[in-house]
Amino acid sequence: MQQIKTVAPSVRKSLMNNWMLQIIIVVILAVIPFITGRPTQNMLILIFCMSVFAMSYDILLGYTGVISFGHAMFFGIGAYGISIYLANAKATMGNILLATLIALAVSMIISVFIGFLSLRVKNTYYAMITLAFAQVGVILAEKARHITNGYDGMTFRVSSVLMNKMLFYYIALGFLVLSFIFMWKFTTSPTGRVLVAIRENEQRAKFIGFNTLRYKIISTVVAGAMASLAGSMYAIHMRFVSTSVLGVAKTIDALLATVIGGMGNLYGAILGTGIVNFAGEYLSKLAKVHPIFERWYIIFGLLYILIVLFAPQGVIGLIKKITNKIAAKSVKR
Amino acid sequence: MDIFVNLTIAGLSTGMMYYLLSSGLSLIYGLMGVLNFAHGSVFMYGAYAGVLVFGLTGSFTFGIIAAIVVGAIVGYTMERLVISRVYGQHLAQILLTTGLMLVLNELIKIPFGSNILPAFQPEALQSSWQIGEIVIVKYRIFLIIIGLVVATILNAVMAKTKLGMTVRAGVQNPEMVQVLGINIKKVFSFVFILGSALSALGGILMAPALGAINPEIGLMYQMTGFMVVVIGGMGSLTGTLFSSLLVGLASSYTAYVYPDAATAVIVIVMIVVLLIKPSGLFGKGAE
Repeated sequence: MQQIKTVAPSVRKSLMNNWMLQIIIVVILAVIPFITGRPTQNMLILIFCMSVFAMSYDILLGYTGVISFGHAMFFGIGAYGISIYLANAKATMGNILLATLIALAVSMIISVFIGFLSLRVKNTYYAMITLAFAQVGVILAEKARHITNGYDGMTFRVSSVLMNKMLFYYIALGFLVLSFIFMWKFTTSPTGRVLVAIRENEQRAKFIGFNTLRYKIISTVVAGAMASLAGSMYAIHMRFVSTSVLGVAKTIDALLATVIGGMGNLYGAILGTGIVNFAGEYLSKLAKVHPIFERWYIIFGLLYILIVLFAPQGVIGLIKKITNKIAAKSVKR
Repeated sequence: MDIFVNLTIAGLSTGMMYYLLSSGLSLIYGLMGVLNFAHGSVFMYGAYAGVLVFGLTGSFTFGIIAAIVVGAIVGYTMERLVISRVYGQHLAQILLTTGLMLVLNELIKIPFGSNILPAFQPEALQSSWQIGEIVIVKYRIFLIIIGLVVATILNAVMAKTKLGMTVRAGVQNPEMVQVLGINIKKVFSFVFILGSALSALGGILMAPALGAINPEIGLMYQMTGFMVVVIGGMGSLTGTLFSSLLVGLASSYTAYVYPDAATAVIVIVMIVVLLIKPSGLFGKGAE
């Protein structure tokens, strides 16, 4: 497991301490709704929600070194929490908040249970068992057709304030920034450092005296909670939820985004989500030019395999390599 | 009583298919520590290859041979091109085999689309015997016989031949095998090909029982395969056989009593096993 490493410490320092860059990016994102049309705005809102989901996945994959195939379940719980509650209750802000919190609590309880079941044995078990649970989640949602309307999905109303996409854009951006700060604090906290120690060498972490199972479960709970919140935001944005939010494909989207962007540093997840969404949109439009582009997922699959094999730090790592080279050259001069 | 017999036969035949699917999974994991997430895709490729060749030639035997050949080729290619690069890195293995699964599942859609492809039973096996109230579908008996034959051969190879001995030794201690001058990489390749061929065989045999195949069956049955392996214990062929039949029977009975719960039952069995003996029924102690 030690072969997959995050960005080297020196690189990390320069990248992470670059608060100026982050502020500039946020400012650019804040200005965008004034210069672009509705479709781009909607796309960006979606990317903000999915970025939080991908970052929560990164806590598992990049920081703790476990792979989940059922992470979408928590996303789905968040989404269904909102949709079921609002389909049956008045769409006031209070109700939306309440629904989000209930979904959050359910997600946390389930993540403790699954974490305890599977992480006791081996990290590889987590991958298999989460896959099984995700499938059960999909089946349950399909069977409860009278509530969820299954694969066809359910629509619902949200309060009129949230219907204003301009305002919701800023809410989603704020959600992304706050989530990033929270997860950043979490991953740099002592607990987060223990998680990295577990990823690098679990046995050693155990011998030092850490209860690694407990830390791994904490990691799954935090990841599950953030995924649930991302799901709730996604549901409010789409005003439509179907069983596809629970499926393995959703988890694999986060996996692709995290690996392509670069795992083990939350930036990669955001960048990866942006790349996957924009490229997916662009490539599926090319399907009119040549039908081969209908299968654009193959391109991502191959890109993903190449990245895992040859550039385990993802696009962020590649960018860092290039900028470092340029910096080294300018120093020489 | 008659219903019970019918359900038991159905359960055993499904269980045998699960065995073909998961024995390769279990062997590959046991020997190489590779959790192969593309295993279900090989199963699906076997189903497609078999159904196509069966449709073209009209001979089910050719279909089976085609499935095994395609499975072996896909398995060998995956192992050589990708998986052999990351032995010993569990995280990278799961990530890579997931990528292979994505690519394989999309590739099959280029010629066949994502719609279903009907799969038929060979004519000779289409009918069924009737003894009183008991209806015995010939195809199910055929599945059980094939499963038993494969299980017997596999066990004999593992127990009696030098190759099997090497594989078993490799499961116990790969370093020691290498120190003794055996090229474990070759053994790895062999086991990977064997596991993939078994999975593909499971695919073509399962296809007529399903009636139709689509690109999604790979991931669907892979999930069941994982649960079977977890219940039986990773790396134990006996455990895999036992839990395959257990899972097959359990889902067959529940499908009759309460169809909605058929999948849930497998998950519940898995949860119980994980709580009591986390390494699986026949697994060696928890690591």
